[in-house]
Amino acid sequence: MDWQAFVLSLRLATVTTAILLAIAVPLAALIVLGRGRWLAAVEALATLPMVLPPTVLGFFLLVLLGPRTAFGRGIAAMLGHPLAFSFDGLVVGSVIYSLPFAVQPLVAGFASVDTALVDAARLLGAGPVRLVSSILLPLARRSLLAAVVLSFLHTIGEFGVVLMLGGDIPGATRTLSIVLYDQVENFDYAAAGHTALLLLGLSALALAAVYATSQKRGRAGSA
Amino acid sequence: MSKQFLAALFALLTLAPLSAQTPLRVAAAADLEPVLPPLLVQFEKNSGIHAEASYQASATLTTQIENGAPFDVFLSADLSFPKRLIDAGLADAAGSADSSTPITYARGTLVLWERKDSNLPPPSLDLLRSPALKRLAIANPDRAPYGRAAVAALHRLDLYDALKPRLVTAENIAQAAQFVDSANADAGLISLTSALTPRLSADGSYFVIPRDLYPPIEQGAVIVSNTKQRAAAHKLLDFLLSPAVQAELAKSGLTPVK
Repeated sequence: MDWQAFVLSLRLATVTTAILLAIAVPLAALIVLGRGRWLAAVEALATLPMVLPPTVLGFFLLVLLGPRTAFGRGIAAMLGHPLAFSFDGLVVGSVIYSLPFAVQPLVAGFASVDTALVDAARLLGAGPVRLVSSILLPLARRSLLAAVVLSFLHTIGEFGVVLMLGGDIPGATRTLSIVLYDQVENFDYAAAGHTALLLLGLSALALAAVYATSQKRGRAGSA
Repeated sequence: MSKQFLAALFALLTLAPLSAQTPLRVAAAADLEPVLPPLLVQFEKNSGIHAEASYQASATLTTQIENGAPFDVFLSADLSFPKRLIDAGLADAAGSADSSTPITYARGTLVLWERKDSNLPPPSLDLLRSPALKRLAIANPDRAPYGRAAVAALHRLDLYDALKPRLVTAENIAQAAQFVDSANADAGLISLTSALTPRLSADGSYFVIPRDLYPPIEQGAVIVSNTKQRAAAHKLLDFLLSPAVQAELAKSGLTPVK
Protein backbone atom coordinates (compact mmCIF):
# COMPACT_ATOMS: atom_id res chain seq x y z
CA MET A 1 0.00 0.00 0.00
CA ASP A 2 1.42 3.33 -1.06
CA TRP A 3 0.45 5.56 1.90
CA GLN A 4 2.04 8.63 0.36
CA ALA A 5 -0.28 8.28 -2.64
CA PHE A 6 -3.22 7.56 -0.34
CA VAL A 7 -2.64 10.77 1.64
CA LEU A 8 -2.11 12.71 -1.59
CA SER A 9 -5.43 11.48 -2.98
CA LEU A 10 -7.24 12.46 0.24
CA ARG A 11 -5.61 15.89 0.18
CA LEU A 12 -6.49 16.42 -3.47
CA ALA A 13 -10.10 15.36 -2.90
CA THR A 14 -10.47 17.58 0.19
CA VAL A 15 -9.03 20.70 -1.45
CA THR A 16 -11.00 20.07 -4.65
CA THR A 17 -14.28 19.55 -2.78
CA ALA A 18 -13.80 22.75 -0.74
CA ILE A 19 -13.11 24.80 -3.87
CA LEU A 20 -15.98 23.14 -5.73
CA LEU A 21 -18.47 24.03 -2.98
CA ALA A 22 -17.33 27.65 -3.02
CA ILE A 23 -17.98 27.70 -6.78
CA ALA A 24 -20.97 25.37 -7.08
CA VAL A 25 -23.26 26.81 -4.36
CA PRO A 26 -23.39 30.33 -5.84
CA LEU A 27 -23.51 28.90 -9.36
CA ALA A 28 -26.43 26.58 -8.57
CA ALA A 29 -28.25 29.42 -6.76
CA LEU A 30 -27.76 31.65 -9.80
CA ILE A 31 -29.10 28.95 -12.12
CA VAL A 32 -32.20 28.33 -9.95
CA LEU A 33 -32.99 31.86 -8.74
CA GLY A 34 -31.86 33.85 -11.74
CA ARG A 35 -33.88 34.90 -14.75
CA GLY A 36 -32.82 34.83 -18.36
CA ARG A 37 -32.07 32.39 -21.11
CA TRP A 38 -28.31 32.70 -20.75
CA LEU A 39 -28.64 30.72 -17.50
CA ALA A 40 -29.42 27.63 -19.57
CA ALA A 41 -26.09 28.19 -21.30
CA VAL A 42 -24.36 28.50 -17.92
CA GLU A 43 -25.89 25.24 -16.73
CA ALA A 44 -24.96 23.50 -19.98
CA LEU A 45 -21.39 24.77 -19.68
CA ALA A 46 -21.13 23.57 -16.08
CA THR A 47 -22.25 20.09 -17.15
CA LEU A 48 -20.01 19.85 -20.20
CA PRO A 49 -16.86 18.41 -18.54
CA MET A 50 -18.77 15.09 -18.33
CA VAL A 51 -18.81 14.76 -22.10
CA LEU A 52 -15.08 14.81 -22.79
CA PRO A 53 -13.02 11.68 -22.19
CA PRO A 54 -10.93 12.54 -19.10
CA THR A 55 -7.59 12.01 -20.84
CA VAL A 56 -8.69 14.38 -23.60
CA LEU A 57 -9.79 16.97 -21.04
CA GLY A 58 -6.40 16.45 -19.37
CA PHE A 59 -4.66 16.97 -22.70
CA PHE A 60 -6.53 20.23 -23.34
CA LEU A 61 -5.62 21.44 -19.85
CA LEU A 62 -2.00 20.43 -20.42
CA VAL A 63 -1.93 22.66 -23.48
CA LEU A 64 -4.01 25.49 -21.96
CA LEU A 65 -2.03 25.63 -18.71
CA GLY A 66 1.31 25.13 -20.46
CA PRO A 67 3.89 27.82 -21.23
CA ARG A 68 2.75 28.10 -24.84
CA THR A 69 -0.39 30.08 -23.94
CA ALA A 70 -0.53 33.56 -22.37
CA PHE A 71 -2.91 32.09 -19.76
CA GLY A 72 -0.42 29.38 -18.81
CA ARG A 73 2.47 31.85 -18.67
CA GLY A 74 0.40 34.21 -16.48
CA ILE A 75 -0.40 31.46 -14.01
CA ALA A 76 3.21 30.27 -13.95
CA ALA A 77 4.38 33.84 -13.21
CA MET A 78 1.81 34.13 -10.41
CA LEU A 79 2.67 30.81 -8.76
CA GLY A 80 6.37 30.83 -9.53
CA HIS A 81 6.12 27.43 -11.27
CA PRO A 82 4.20 25.94 -14.21
CA LEU A 83 0.89 24.30 -13.29
CA ALA A 84 1.46 21.03 -15.13
CA PHE A 85 3.20 18.29 -13.12
CA SER A 86 2.31 19.98 -9.80
CA PHE A 87 -0.30 19.44 -7.09
CA ASP A 88 -1.86 22.82 -7.88
CA GLY A 89 -2.27 21.72 -11.48
CA LEU A 90 -4.13 18.60 -10.37
CA VAL A 91 -6.44 20.77 -8.22
CA VAL A 92 -7.30 22.94 -11.23
CA GLY A 93 -7.91 19.85 -13.38
CA SER A 94 -10.01 18.14 -10.70
CA VAL A 95 -12.18 21.20 -10.08
CA ILE A 96 -13.06 21.41 -13.77
CA TYR A 97 -13.50 17.66 -14.12
CA SER A 98 -15.77 17.27 -11.06
CA LEU A 99 -17.73 20.52 -11.49
CA PRO A 100 -20.88 18.79 -12.85
CA PHE A 101 -20.92 16.43 -9.87
CA ALA A 102 -21.11 19.40 -7.49
CA VAL A 103 -23.42 21.63 -9.52
CA GLN A 104 -26.03 19.10 -10.65
CA PRO A 105 -27.19 17.83 -7.22
CA LEU A 106 -27.30 21.40 -5.89
CA VAL A 107 -29.38 22.66 -8.84
CA ALA A 108 -31.80 19.75 -8.39
CA GLY A 109 -31.97 20.36 -4.63
CA PHE A 110 -32.44 24.13 -4.86
CA ALA A 111 -35.07 23.73 -7.58
CA SER A 112 -37.10 21.37 -5.40
CA VAL A 113 -37.44 23.96 -2.63
CA ASP A 114 -41.00 25.35 -2.51
CA THR A 115 -41.00 28.60 -4.52
CA ALA A 116 -43.57 30.05 -2.10
CA LEU A 117 -40.92 29.98 0.62
CA VAL A 118 -38.39 31.67 -1.62
CA ASP A 119 -40.93 34.34 -2.66
CA ALA A 120 -41.94 34.94 0.97
CA ALA A 121 -38.32 35.38 2.01
CA ARG A 122 -37.78 37.77 -0.87
CA LEU A 123 -40.86 39.82 0.16
CA LEU A 124 -39.48 40.02 3.68
CA GLY A 125 -36.36 41.58 2.22
CA ALA A 126 -33.92 38.67 2.12
CA GLY A 127 -31.03 39.24 -0.30
CA PRO A 128 -29.53 36.43 -2.39
CA VAL A 129 -26.91 35.52 0.25
CA ARG A 130 -29.56 35.27 2.96
CA LEU A 131 -31.83 33.29 0.60
CA VAL A 132 -29.13 30.73 -0.02
CA SER A 133 -27.83 30.47 3.55
CA SER A 134 -31.18 30.51 5.40
CA ILE A 135 -33.63 28.93 2.95
CA LEU A 136 -32.04 26.98 0.10
CA LEU A 137 -29.08 25.30 1.82
CA PRO A 138 -30.96 24.17 4.97
CA LEU A 139 -33.86 22.81 2.92
CA ALA A 140 -31.60 21.14 0.36
CA ARG A 141 -29.29 19.57 2.94
CA ARG A 142 -29.37 16.17 1.26
CA SER A 143 -28.40 17.68 -2.06
CA LEU A 144 -25.51 19.53 -0.44
CA LEU A 145 -24.39 16.26 1.07
CA ALA A 146 -24.71 14.53 -2.30
CA ALA A 147 -22.64 17.27 -3.92
CA VAL A 148 -19.90 16.90 -1.30
CA VAL A 149 -19.83 13.10 -1.48
CA LEU A 150 -19.89 12.94 -5.28
CA SER A 151 -17.19 15.61 -5.70
CA PHE A 152 -14.96 13.95 -3.13
CA LEU A 153 -15.31 10.41 -4.46
CA HIS A 154 -15.13 11.47 -8.09
CA THR A 155 -11.81 13.18 -7.33
CA ILE A 156 -10.46 10.16 -5.43
CA GLY A 157 -11.28 7.95 -8.41
CA GLU A 158 -10.12 10.48 -11.00
CA PHE A 159 -7.61 9.03 -13.39
CA GLY A 160 -7.43 10.38 -16.91
CA VAL A 161 -6.89 14.03 -16.04
CA VAL A 162 -4.22 13.14 -13.46
CA LEU A 163 -2.54 10.83 -15.96
CA MET A 164 -2.25 13.59 -18.55
CA LEU A 165 -1.53 16.53 -16.27
CA GLY A 166 0.44 14.84 -13.50
CA GLY A 167 3.65 13.26 -14.77
CA ASP A 168 3.54 10.60 -12.01
CA ILE A 169 5.74 12.43 -9.46
CA PRO A 170 5.71 10.71 -6.03
CA GLY A 171 4.34 12.99 -3.31
CA ALA A 172 3.20 15.63 -5.78
CA THR A 173 1.07 14.04 -8.49
CA ARG A 174 1.14 10.26 -8.00
CA THR A 175 -2.37 9.65 -6.70
CA LEU A 176 -3.80 6.36 -5.53
CA SER A 177 -5.69 5.76 -8.76
CA ILE A 178 -2.41 6.13 -10.70
CA VAL A 179 -0.70 3.67 -8.33
CA LEU A 180 -3.58 1.27 -8.75
CA TYR A 181 -3.43 1.52 -12.53
CA ASP A 182 0.35 1.03 -12.48
CA GLN A 183 -0.06 -2.09 -10.37
CA VAL A 184 -2.58 -3.52 -12.83
CA GLU A 185 -0.48 -2.64 -15.87
CA ASN A 186 2.62 -4.15 -14.26
CA PHE A 187 0.71 -7.43 -13.72
CA ASP A 188 0.95 -6.97 -9.95
CA TYR A 189 -2.62 -8.14 -9.47
CA ALA A 190 -2.21 -9.03 -5.77
CA ALA A 191 -1.05 -5.52 -4.86
CA ALA A 192 -3.75 -4.02 -7.09
CA GLY A 193 -6.34 -6.16 -5.32
CA HIS A 194 -5.17 -4.97 -1.91
CA THR A 195 -5.12 -1.32 -2.94
CA ALA A 196 -8.56 -1.51 -4.53
CA LEU A 197 -10.04 -3.41 -1.60
CA LEU A 198 -8.70 -0.91 0.92
CA LEU A 199 -9.92 2.00 -1.18
CA LEU A 200 -13.39 0.46 -1.55
CA GLY A 201 -13.55 -0.48 2.14
CA LEU A 202 -12.54 2.94 3.41
CA SER A 203 -14.91 4.68 1.00
CA ALA A 204 -17.80 2.43 1.99
CA LEU A 205 -17.15 3.13 5.69
CA ALA A 206 -16.88 6.87 5.14
CA LEU A 207 -20.05 6.93 3.03
CA ALA A 208 -22.00 4.89 5.57
CA ALA A 209 -20.86 7.25 8.34
CA VAL A 210 -21.84 10.34 6.34
CA TYR A 211 -25.26 8.97 5.40
CA ALA A 212 -25.94 7.71 8.95
CA THR A 213 -25.26 11.12 10.52
CA SER A 214 -27.25 12.93 7.87
CA GLN A 215 -30.26 10.66 8.42
CA LYS A 216 -30.18 11.27 12.17
CA ARG A 217 -30.02 15.00 11.63
CA GLY A 218 -32.79 14.79 9.04
CA ARG A 219 -35.08 13.02 11.52
CA ALA A 220 -34.19 15.40 14.34
CA GLY A 221 -34.90 18.34 12.04
CA SER A 222 -38.33 17.10 10.95
CA ALA A 223 -39.42 16.08 14.44
CA MET B 1 -41.01 13.79 -35.96
CA SER B 2 -43.26 10.76 -36.31
CA LYS B 3 -43.22 7.81 -33.96
CA GLN B 4 -42.32 5.51 -36.83
CA PHE B 5 -39.30 7.63 -37.60
CA LEU B 6 -38.12 7.49 -33.99
CA ALA B 7 -38.66 3.74 -33.88
CA ALA B 8 -36.66 3.29 -37.08
CA LEU B 9 -33.89 5.47 -35.71
CA PHE B 10 -33.83 3.48 -32.48
CA ALA B 11 -33.67 0.20 -34.38
CA LEU B 12 -30.87 1.55 -36.55
CA LEU B 13 -28.84 2.56 -33.53
CA THR B 14 -29.39 -0.58 -31.48
CA LEU B 15 -29.15 -3.34 -34.07
CA ALA B 16 -25.67 -4.70 -34.62
CA PRO B 17 -24.30 -3.91 -38.06
CA LEU B 18 -24.19 -6.85 -40.43
CA SER B 19 -20.58 -7.84 -40.43
CA ALA B 20 -18.82 -9.01 -43.53
CA GLN B 21 -15.98 -11.51 -43.40
CA THR B 22 -14.05 -11.47 -40.10
CA PRO B 23 -10.92 -9.34 -40.46
CA LEU B 24 -7.50 -10.38 -39.22
CA ARG B 25 -7.30 -8.69 -35.83
CA VAL B 26 -3.92 -7.20 -35.00
CA ALA B 27 -2.98 -6.09 -31.49
CA ALA B 28 -0.34 -3.46 -32.15
CA ALA B 29 1.95 -1.54 -29.79
CA ALA B 30 1.20 2.18 -29.58
CA ASP B 31 4.48 3.15 -31.26
CA LEU B 32 3.25 1.48 -34.46
CA GLU B 33 0.29 3.83 -34.80
CA PRO B 34 2.10 6.23 -37.15
CA VAL B 35 3.67 3.31 -39.09
CA LEU B 36 1.26 0.44 -39.51
CA PRO B 37 -1.94 1.83 -41.14
CA PRO B 38 -0.48 2.37 -44.65
CA LEU B 39 1.27 -1.01 -44.43
CA LEU B 40 -2.02 -2.76 -43.67
CA VAL B 41 -3.61 -1.11 -46.70
CA GLN B 42 -0.74 -2.39 -48.82
CA PHE B 43 -1.07 -5.84 -47.23
CA GLU B 44 -4.74 -5.99 -48.19
CA LYS B 45 -3.85 -5.02 -51.77
CA ASN B 46 -1.20 -7.74 -51.98
CA SER B 47 -2.98 -10.58 -50.21
CA GLY B 48 -6.67 -9.73 -50.24
CA ILE B 49 -6.68 -10.12 -46.45
CA HIS B 50 -8.33 -7.30 -44.56
CA ALA B 51 -6.51 -6.62 -41.29
CA GLU B 52 -7.67 -4.31 -38.52
CA ALA B 53 -5.31 -3.04 -35.84
CA SER B 54 -5.99 -1.95 -32.26
CA TYR B 55 -3.30 0.30 -30.84
CA GLN B 56 -2.60 0.14 -27.13
CA ALA B 57 0.32 -0.07 -24.75
CA SER B 58 1.95 -3.49 -25.12
CA ALA B 59 1.18 -4.27 -21.45
CA THR B 60 -2.51 -3.53 -21.94
CA LEU B 61 -2.68 -5.70 -25.05
CA THR B 62 -0.94 -8.52 -23.17
CA THR B 63 -3.54 -8.36 -20.39
CA GLN B 64 -6.32 -8.35 -22.96
CA ILE B 65 -4.94 -11.39 -24.77
CA GLU B 66 -4.46 -13.18 -21.43
CA ASN B 67 -8.14 -12.61 -20.83
CA GLY B 68 -9.29 -13.92 -24.18
CA ALA B 69 -9.36 -10.85 -26.43
CA PRO B 70 -10.05 -12.04 -29.99
CA PHE B 71 -6.75 -11.01 -31.56
CA ASP B 72 -4.91 -13.11 -34.16
CA VAL B 73 -1.50 -11.41 -34.17
CA PHE B 74 0.32 -9.42 -31.50
CA LEU B 75 2.95 -6.89 -32.56
CA SER B 76 4.61 -5.80 -29.34
CA ALA B 77 7.05 -2.96 -28.74
CA ASP B 78 9.42 -5.33 -26.96
CA LEU B 79 10.16 -9.03 -26.49
CA SER B 80 9.12 -9.47 -22.85
CA PHE B 81 5.36 -9.14 -23.37
CA PRO B 82 5.08 -11.62 -26.25
CA LYS B 83 7.45 -13.93 -24.34
CA ARG B 84 5.11 -13.74 -21.38
CA LEU B 85 2.23 -14.92 -23.60
CA ILE B 86 4.35 -17.74 -25.08
CA ASP B 87 5.29 -18.92 -21.58
CA ALA B 88 1.62 -18.94 -20.63
CA GLY B 89 0.87 -21.09 -23.69
CA LEU B 90 -1.32 -18.39 -25.21
CA ALA B 91 0.87 -17.44 -28.16
CA ASP B 92 3.57 -18.93 -30.35
CA ALA B 93 5.99 -18.16 -33.10
CA ALA B 94 5.25 -21.37 -35.00
CA GLY B 95 6.89 -21.46 -38.40
CA SER B 96 10.03 -19.62 -37.31
CA ALA B 97 13.30 -21.29 -36.30
CA ASP B 98 12.43 -21.27 -32.61
CA SER B 99 8.72 -21.34 -31.91
CA SER B 100 9.18 -20.26 -28.28
CA THR B 101 10.95 -17.00 -29.10
CA PRO B 102 9.01 -14.03 -30.44
CA ILE B 103 9.87 -12.99 -34.01
CA THR B 104 11.81 -9.74 -33.98
CA TYR B 105 10.36 -7.61 -36.77
CA ALA B 106 12.08 -4.28 -36.04
CA ARG B 107 14.25 -2.40 -33.58
CA GLY B 108 13.32 0.88 -31.94
CA THR B 109 15.49 3.98 -31.72
CA LEU B 110 15.57 6.27 -28.71
CA VAL B 111 15.95 10.00 -29.38
CA LEU B 112 16.17 13.15 -27.30
CA TRP B 113 13.55 15.54 -28.62
CA GLU B 114 13.16 19.25 -27.99
CA ARG B 115 10.97 22.02 -29.38
CA LYS B 116 12.66 24.33 -31.88
CA ASP B 117 11.53 27.44 -29.94
CA SER B 118 13.12 26.20 -26.69
CA ASN B 119 15.56 28.55 -24.94
CA LEU B 120 17.81 25.64 -24.00
CA PRO B 121 20.71 24.37 -26.11
CA PRO B 122 19.77 22.07 -29.02
CA PRO B 123 19.27 18.38 -28.22
CA SER B 124 22.51 16.55 -27.42
CA LEU B 125 23.99 14.64 -24.51
CA ASP B 126 25.12 18.03 -23.17
CA LEU B 127 21.49 19.11 -22.93
CA LEU B 128 20.93 16.18 -20.54
CA ARG B 129 23.82 17.47 -18.40
CA SER B 130 22.55 21.07 -18.42
CA PRO B 131 21.17 22.34 -15.07
CA ALA B 132 18.80 24.52 -17.11
CA LEU B 133 16.91 21.34 -18.07
CA LYS B 134 14.11 21.46 -15.49
CA ARG B 135 11.72 18.81 -16.79
CA LEU B 136 12.67 15.74 -18.82
CA ALA B 137 9.80 13.56 -20.05
CA ILE B 138 10.19 9.79 -20.30
CA ALA B 139 7.73 6.93 -20.74
CA ASN B 140 6.93 4.70 -17.78
CA PRO B 141 10.10 2.58 -17.33
CA ASP B 142 8.19 -0.24 -15.62
CA ARG B 143 6.47 -1.26 -18.81
CA ALA B 144 7.13 1.06 -21.78
CA PRO B 145 10.18 -0.30 -23.66
CA TYR B 146 11.34 3.20 -24.59
CA GLY B 147 11.00 4.26 -20.96
CA ARG B 148 13.15 1.29 -19.94
CA ALA B 149 15.74 2.28 -22.57
CA ALA B 150 15.67 5.92 -21.41
CA VAL B 151 16.40 4.97 -17.80
CA ALA B 152 19.16 2.56 -18.91
CA ALA B 153 20.79 5.32 -20.99
CA LEU B 154 20.59 7.82 -18.12
CA HIS B 155 22.23 5.25 -15.82
CA ARG B 156 24.99 4.62 -18.35
CA LEU B 157 25.61 8.37 -18.57
CA ASP B 158 25.70 8.58 -14.73
CA LEU B 159 22.94 11.14 -14.96
CA TYR B 160 20.04 9.18 -13.50
CA ASP B 161 20.43 10.31 -9.88
CA ALA B 162 20.92 13.93 -10.87
CA LEU B 163 17.92 13.91 -13.23
CA LYS B 164 15.56 11.74 -11.18
CA PRO B 165 13.83 14.66 -9.40
CA ARG B 166 13.38 16.36 -12.77
CA LEU B 167 11.81 13.40 -14.58
CA VAL B 168 8.14 13.45 -15.52
CA THR B 169 6.79 10.03 -16.36
CA ALA B 170 4.21 9.56 -19.08
CA GLU B 171 1.95 6.55 -19.45
CA ASN B 172 3.37 5.77 -22.90
CA ILE B 173 5.80 7.14 -25.44
CA ALA B 174 3.17 9.16 -27.33
CA GLN B 175 2.17 10.94 -24.14
CA ALA B 176 5.82 11.66 -23.31
CA ALA B 177 6.01 13.38 -26.70
CA GLN B 178 2.87 15.40 -25.85
CA PHE B 179 4.45 16.58 -22.59
CA VAL B 180 7.32 18.11 -24.57
CA ASP B 181 5.37 19.26 -27.62
CA SER B 182 3.01 21.23 -25.34
CA ALA B 183 6.19 22.79 -23.84
CA ASN B 184 5.30 21.59 -20.34
CA ALA B 185 8.53 19.55 -20.29
CA ASP B 186 11.78 21.00 -21.67
CA ALA B 187 12.84 17.87 -23.51
CA GLY B 188 11.91 14.22 -23.77
CA LEU B 189 13.41 10.82 -24.46
CA ILE B 190 10.98 9.49 -27.04
CA SER B 191 10.84 7.11 -29.99
CA LEU B 192 12.21 8.02 -33.38
CA THR B 193 8.82 6.95 -34.81
CA SER B 194 7.17 9.76 -32.81
CA ALA B 195 9.90 12.29 -33.68
CA LEU B 196 9.40 11.59 -37.39
CA THR B 197 5.63 12.23 -37.40
CA PRO B 198 4.73 15.38 -39.39
CA ARG B 199 3.59 17.21 -36.26
CA LEU B 200 6.74 16.62 -34.22
CA SER B 201 9.18 17.07 -37.09
CA ALA B 202 7.58 20.47 -37.72
CA ASP B 203 7.75 21.51 -34.06
CA GLY B 204 11.16 20.28 -32.99
CA SER B 205 14.42 18.53 -33.58
CA TYR B 206 15.95 15.33 -32.25
CA PHE B 207 19.26 13.78 -31.31
CA VAL B 208 19.72 10.03 -31.69
CA ILE B 209 20.87 8.57 -28.38
CA PRO B 210 23.99 6.45 -29.10
CA ARG B 211 22.91 2.82 -29.35
CA ASP B 212 25.59 1.54 -27.01
CA LEU B 213 23.94 3.41 -24.13
CA TYR B 214 20.86 1.16 -23.88
CA PRO B 215 19.94 -2.45 -24.57
CA PRO B 216 18.36 -2.82 -28.03
CA ILE B 217 14.61 -2.13 -28.16
CA GLU B 218 13.66 -5.29 -30.03
CA GLN B 219 10.05 -5.40 -31.16
CA GLY B 220 8.63 -8.92 -31.17
CA ALA B 221 5.64 -10.47 -32.92
CA VAL B 222 3.69 -13.59 -31.98
CA ILE B 223 0.63 -15.41 -33.25
CA VAL B 224 -2.16 -15.79 -30.72
CA SER B 225 -2.45 -19.56 -30.35
CA ASN B 226 -6.21 -19.97 -30.57
CA THR B 227 -6.52 -17.91 -33.76
CA LYS B 228 -8.78 -19.28 -36.46
CA GLN B 229 -6.77 -17.47 -39.13
CA ARG B 230 -3.29 -18.88 -38.67
CA ALA B 231 -2.46 -18.85 -42.39
CA ALA B 232 -3.46 -15.20 -42.74
CA ALA B 233 -1.49 -14.35 -39.57
CA HIS B 234 1.63 -15.99 -41.06
CA LYS B 235 1.15 -14.04 -44.27
CA LEU B 236 1.09 -10.78 -42.30
CA LEU B 237 4.31 -11.65 -40.46
CA ASP B 238 6.03 -12.66 -43.72
CA PHE B 239 4.85 -9.39 -45.23
CA LEU B 240 6.31 -7.39 -42.33
CA LEU B 241 9.66 -9.17 -42.75
CA SER B 242 9.76 -8.73 -46.54
CA PRO B 243 12.60 -6.46 -47.81
CA ALA B 244 10.20 -3.83 -49.22
CA VAL B 245 8.31 -3.43 -45.97
CA GLN B 246 11.48 -3.49 -43.89
CA ALA B 247 12.76 -0.59 -46.01
CA GLU B 248 9.44 1.16 -45.37
CA LEU B 249 9.89 0.67 -41.60
CA ALA B 250 13.29 2.34 -41.78
CA LYS B 251 11.69 5.47 -43.23
CA SER B 252 9.27 5.61 -40.29
CA GLY B 253 11.96 5.43 -37.63
CA LEU B 254 12.24 1.70 -36.98
CA THR B 255 15.48 -0.13 -37.70
CA PRO B 256 15.02 -3.09 -40.07
CA VAL B 257 16.08 -6.49 -38.79
CA LYS B 258 16.75 -7.91 -42.25
